[in-house]
Amino acid sequence: MDLHALQVSLVKGIYAHSPVADLMHTRWGWPIAESLHFIGLCLLVGCVGTFDLRLLGLGRTAPIAAVHRLIPFGILGFVINATSGLMFLLTEPDQYIYNPSFHFKLLFLMIGGLNAGTFYLTSYRQIFGPDASSDAPLHAKVIAAISLCSWICVIVGGRLLTFFRPGVCDGVQRALLLTCAP
Amino acid sequence: MNLDPFLLWIENTALSRWLVESPSLLAFPTVLILHAIGMGFAAGIAVAFDLRVLGVAPNVPFAAMRRLFTVLWAGFWLNAASGLLLLWAYPTKALTNPVFHLKLVLIAVGMVLVARMSRDVLRSADREVGPTAAQTASARLRRLAILSLVCWAGAVTAGRLLAYTYHRLTQGEIF
Repeated sequence: MDLHALQVSLVKGIYAHSPVADLMHTRWGWPIAESLHFIGLCLLVGCVGTFDLRLLGLGRTAPIAAVHRLIPFGILGFVINATSGLMFLLTEPDQYIYNPSFHFKLLFLMIGGLNAGTFYLTSYRQIFGPDASSDAPLHAKVIAAISLCSWICVIVGGRLLTFFRPGVCDGVQRALLLTCAP
Repeated sequence: MNLDPFLLWIENTALSRWLVESPSLLAFPTVLILHAIGMGFAAGIAVAFDLRVLGVAPNVPFAAMRRLFTVLWAGFWLNAASGLLLLWAYPTKALTNPVFHLKLVLIAVGMVLVARMSRDVLRSADREVGPTAAQTASARLRRLAILSLVCWAGAVTAGRLLAYTYHRLTQGEIF
């Protein structure tokens, strides 16, 4: 199945079956979800960012494992944002699924997620094991730098959504993903 | 006091016109992006510090957070600058909305709390040197941390609600 057809069927399917659209169309539904999305952003950037900065060498007297105790709150921020973000998507699917800024945001969400997964698969033992030193190994520092950059790019993609609102297509779209409503 | 002539003057400055009318992504969108990134680091690190005070990550010595506060303040100044530009773009929209005044008060209280709490924990960390130095926070500091969390959640929410609660956008348009 080609990606354009998948996008179109996703938009149609969501419009036909959205479980949250009525809630989100109440007077305070959308504003409250947006506020939660920004609070989640602060939790995520504050807690994951602090851990990334520690891996990069900021505040070396704090044991890396001790700073890692903040990560569950970063994950809480991510869960808040995945939930509220999904509510936006399930209410106005065309505004996201055809939006190039949303594609950019999803790309960096995936990079951020894979990067975090890589951290736990490769660096975890060295950093939390019995031989852990106060200085993180180079590969962990690279992962921390990628993490900081990818979350910042996710913010950029999110903030640019309204400036790339998709219009109606005129002519044939040749890009990998549709960026207008057919 | 009628601010309208002053607000009209701001809206007619070249900078304000450029911010509002330029189609470039480097104008209004970039300022908005910087404001969101600065928020993430200022409010986010303040929240992480509050969590540490409240007992999450108890083995992080407060003295180790000194440079983290520098990053927090960098985020704050980035947002003071980008926020001034956003205000310069739409002064009537912000200044005629009480939610904007509330947002400024919450940020002011939040930053005063950051300044006082960080000064207190760094001072006591300097006094007691050793592995157990300043590992737990006093009951007073914990109460301030809870107040700080409330302030930041409130400031972020107030900021987001600005898009929904204004009643005048510019001097030209009256709702």
